[in-house]
Amino acid sequence: MKKIGFIILVCITNLLFAQENATVSGYLKDAKNGEALIGVTVYKKHSQVGTSTNAYGFYSLTLPRGNDTIMYSFIGYKTIQNPVNLNGNQTVNIELQEEGKDLDEVIVSSEKADVNIQSMDMSSAKLDIKQINKIPALLGEVDIVRAIQLLPGVTTVGEGASGFNVRGGNIDQNLILLDEAPVYNSSHLFGFFSVFNPDAVKDVKLIKGGIPAQYGGRVSSILDIRMKEGNSKRLSVNGGLGTIFSRLSIEAPIIKNKMSFIVAGRRSYIDALVKPFVKSTSAIKGSQFYFYDLTAKINYRINDKNTVFASGYFGKDVFGASVFGFNWGNATGTLRWNHVFNNKLFMNVSTFYSNYKYLLDFKTNSGDQAFKWTSNIVNYSIKPDFTYYLNSKNTIRFGLQSMLYDFSPYKTDISFNDGTKTSLISEKRYGLESSAYISNEQKLLPRLTAEYGLRFSMYNYMGKGTAYYYRDTTPNTPLPLDHEQKYAKGQVIKTYYTPEPRLALNYVINAKSSVKASYNRMAQYLQLISNTAASTPLDVYTLASNNLKPLIADQGSVGYFRNFKENMFETSVEVYYKYMQHQMDYVDNADLFINPHVESQLIQGLGRAYGMEFYVKKNKGKLNGWISYTLSRTERLVRGISNDKWFFSRYDRTHCLNTSVNYDITKRWNISANFVFLSGTPATFPNSKIQIQNYNIPYNTTGTRNNYRITSYNRLDIGATYAFKKNEKRRYKQFLVISVYNVYDRRNAFSIYFRTKSGDPNQTEAVRYSVIGSFVPALTYNFNF
Amino acid sequence: MKTVFKIVLFSCLVFVFSSCEDVVQVKLDEGSKLYVIDAFVNSLRTDQVIRITTNTNYFSNTTPPGVPGAAVVLTDLNNNRQYVFNYTSNGNYVYSLSATDTLARINHTYSLSVTIDGTSYSSSTIQKRLASIDSISVNLNDGSFAFGGGGKTKDTTFLCVLFAKDKSDAQTDYYWIRTYRNDTLFGDPADLNLNIDGTGGAITDASADSLDFTPPSTLLGFKKYRRHDRCRVEVHSIMSNTYNFFTQAQTQINNGGLFATTPENVKTNIITPNGKTKAIGWFSVASVATKSIQVR
Repeated sequence: MKKIGFIILVCITNLLFAQENATVSGYLKDAKNGEALIGVTVYKKHSQVGTSTNAYGFYSLTLPRGNDTIMYSFIGYKTIQNPVNLNGNQTVNIELQEEGKDLDEVIVSSEKADVNIQSMDMSSAKLDIKQINKIPALLGEVDIVRAIQLLPGVTTVGEGASGFNVRGGNIDQNLILLDEAPVYNSSHLFGFFSVFNPDAVKDVKLIKGGIPAQYGGRVSSILDIRMKEGNSKRLSVNGGLGTIFSRLSIEAPIIKNKMSFIVAGRRSYIDALVKPFVKSTSAIKGSQFYFYDLTAKINYRINDKNTVFASGYFGKDVFGASVFGFNWGNATGTLRWNHVFNNKLFMNVSTFYSNYKYLLDFKTNSGDQAFKWTSNIVNYSIKPDFTYYLNSKNTIRFGLQSMLYDFSPYKTDISFNDGTKTSLISEKRYGLESSAYISNEQKLLPRLTAEYGLRFSMYNYMGKGTAYYYRDTTPNTPLPLDHEQKYAKGQVIKTYYTPEPRLALNYVINAKSSVKASYNRMAQYLQLISNTAASTPLDVYTLASNNLKPLIADQGSVGYFRNFKENMFETSVEVYYKYMQHQMDYVDNADLFINPHVESQLIQGLGRAYGMEFYVKKNKGKLNGWISYTLSRTERLVRGISNDKWFFSRYDRTHCLNTSVNYDITKRWNISANFVFLSGTPATFPNSKIQIQNYNIPYNTTGTRNNYRITSYNRLDIGATYAFKKNEKRRYKQFLVISVYNVYDRRNAFSIYFRTKSGDPNQTEAVRYSVIGSFVPALTYNFNF
Repeated sequence: MKTVFKIVLFSCLVFVFSSCEDVVQVKLDEGSKLYVIDAFVNSLRTDQVIRITTNTNYFSNTTPPGVPGAAVVLTDLNNNRQYVFNYTSNGNYVYSLSATDTLARINHTYSLSVTIDGTSYSSSTIQKRLASIDSISVNLNDGSFAFGGGGKTKDTTFLCVLFAKDKSDAQTDYYWIRTYRNDTLFGDPADLNLNIDGTGGAITDASADSLDFTPPSTLLGFKKYRRHDRCRVEVHSIMSNTYNFFTQAQTQINNGGLFATTPENVKTNIITPNGKTKAIGWFSVASVATKSIQVR
């Protein structure tokens, strides 16, 4: 399969290698702070011949020799026209100036604002951090993951649930990349906030379908988050004092225009605020609950051909009291090297390390009896990626990735009152995922562009360790152990191969509209084990093994894109169908914690999801924003569950309507609002109860899962930002953000559950559980200089 | 262990957000009729009770109707001794031990037969292990047991701590610990205290055998006692499937909040003949050790 792809490529290459051409390449930067600009359109004036900058701001454009004008255009920036005399390859680095806010009356004729029509991207959304900053947020804290939940095709099981669901995929099916390194748990405080500090983020891109070959490892979406490089022109400080936490980021050049850094940190202070009011005798004395994170990045532009980056993230959530403690955290480190071999060949090599761990402990007051549990997953990876800008019609991407998983399911330390101690350590689990890919974006006809590629992934489940083999049994009961086998270090226990074809087509009907279609197959070699409504920080990932097959998803989608009024309005309609194999489910009463036989508790089933997404976005003007509506269905089929029939998945929502608008009233005042309407999620309700040992136990005599649906979810949020009058001589800017979340105080149900009334064992009742049961006002003060 | 995690997670959330719960009206379908057999027999020298009821509408707030007129017989298959349980009221069938009776003998297999309207329902179980307790001690409560339930009291309170040891052989043991204050059982679903090999259910392999019981099990639900209160603890040595039944029931009884699991029906070890009205429920025979202490 791979060979055939290569041969085809070589043929195409030869065919198109004729004319006398020259190549212009270089980097595009923001004139104000030297940040690389991602996705800037670079094209030959009055033509369809063009390209766009990659994630590092690099572009390469090959044109026939002669005099020409190259246009550099990017939303929010002034378009630059650069006349070139193309008689040989040349490097042109450009800095773009931001469009002034008071230039409303000047019509910026960036002919190329129709990027959404022309580009291969479909089923994807790019969010500018400036745009995210304007969305009214819970407790006034701007959050990337919550902003993404306003996009079509993205849902969540409810407030406080960590992660997000894309087109019927589970939360573990999203590849969240922070500067190319995967983030395993993107949540702080269970799921109310994400770990990404908005002050350190430059660019956010979500890809839901037509996923290019360079991405792999998760089946539903890619959330590609790029951190700022740090201001390479001057010292700049951003900060904020919020209701729940405070932020500070510092960025500055070390060598002007060559080397710069950014350091950004956040810490919550609920505990510090509460402390003075807690009496020394109170039950919550000695309890702690806080989170913090630190993001740092440094880059060094050695010369026009070489740039290196080092970035890291460290964050932790801590909860506890004198008798128990509970914390979890991520640490990631990335080293990258950008190298330009020549005007046409660009390389980025990333290596990264990531470690996700958590701890839970209990002890007696005196500490003489104690129990401590820790678990972690460590990841090492190297990933060279190449882009070869063959000519104006072909852009070839190829690369490799190798990733080692080193996973400790549990380690427990127990102390006894007689002073003795013991440790119980589970065996480590190892997996090695390797992949190679190649793709070509080719202009087949003047109006038809195709991006075709193949990713080939291989996974080895390896020793040192014991592999357990289970016998089949009655569906939906734990599998009995058949035998176990020991494997030596590095010895392969099980291997899986998956060819993952990718295809995307774009047919441009005219300057205003296009039709796009895509197909992709994705493979995923680890899945999150979680049978709770919202995933908990204690949930662990588990690797594909001799018992667990890799998750495979096939997705096809078709979309129509149309712009109106000089690209003022972007609209799109897309339909998708996704089919998933080996999706994880759990046997009844599954024991997923500290269980060496956790694999005997898992069942793999089928999943299918389909839907239609509508999107209207107004890009320009004082009033801007978007409306999205998704009609969808997500179902599962698992042997032994719900009488062996398809059932709705926990995050199935028939209707999803999201509206986000923003209005600039004056230079100082800006207001914004969100409105969200979501169908209720499915739920399993009992139809009777039984009494055993005086406990009232709910019982569903039909055995059907998700047989009811809870009430719909709707919410309005509003926000206002006031920019203080600025002293023209100083750079210091101050903003006050007022926001109200859940304005009309609706108690949206997260779930409806059934319980025995306390104090009377005969009385049972249905309870609506709302995570946020009232409106939440917040005030945040932000500054920068 | 699962429940302990849940309580911890929930406590954390309460601090942070004003999550709220309110009782709502929900229209539920009516389920088909089932017989419910509640048969927990043990080695204590008290009257042994097996209860037979039917399932009821979920929101019905009366005691479930008892099923009278059934023939309830417990048989020790090792010595073929039969224990006939007699109906008293409210679905209760009682057997009063005579001075020579010993129930829950080690390594004996017991079968239960319940005949209702000519249909015979059956089940069987083994009593394998002996339970033991070393001692119970009383600790002064310094108020730092943050999530122990119960309000703050003005007078000094105490906590009871259990000392017990798991059996020293390689076999996995399952325990159900019941705690009483002045002969009143702490019987809330949240008070179900279960563990495997003494380690809170954490470790299921042989490595935990013969260890002392550890927290949180030994903290007996963080219950508070005052001076002159009596704390009594029973350690029931149960079968692994009975342990699973309890953990499953506990999850289902109060399955709310952010970290609720998908509701499921509790398992049963009662066998229903084909085509007859289904009987569900649980049959268990347990060895029990008990100790008590008075707070002074």
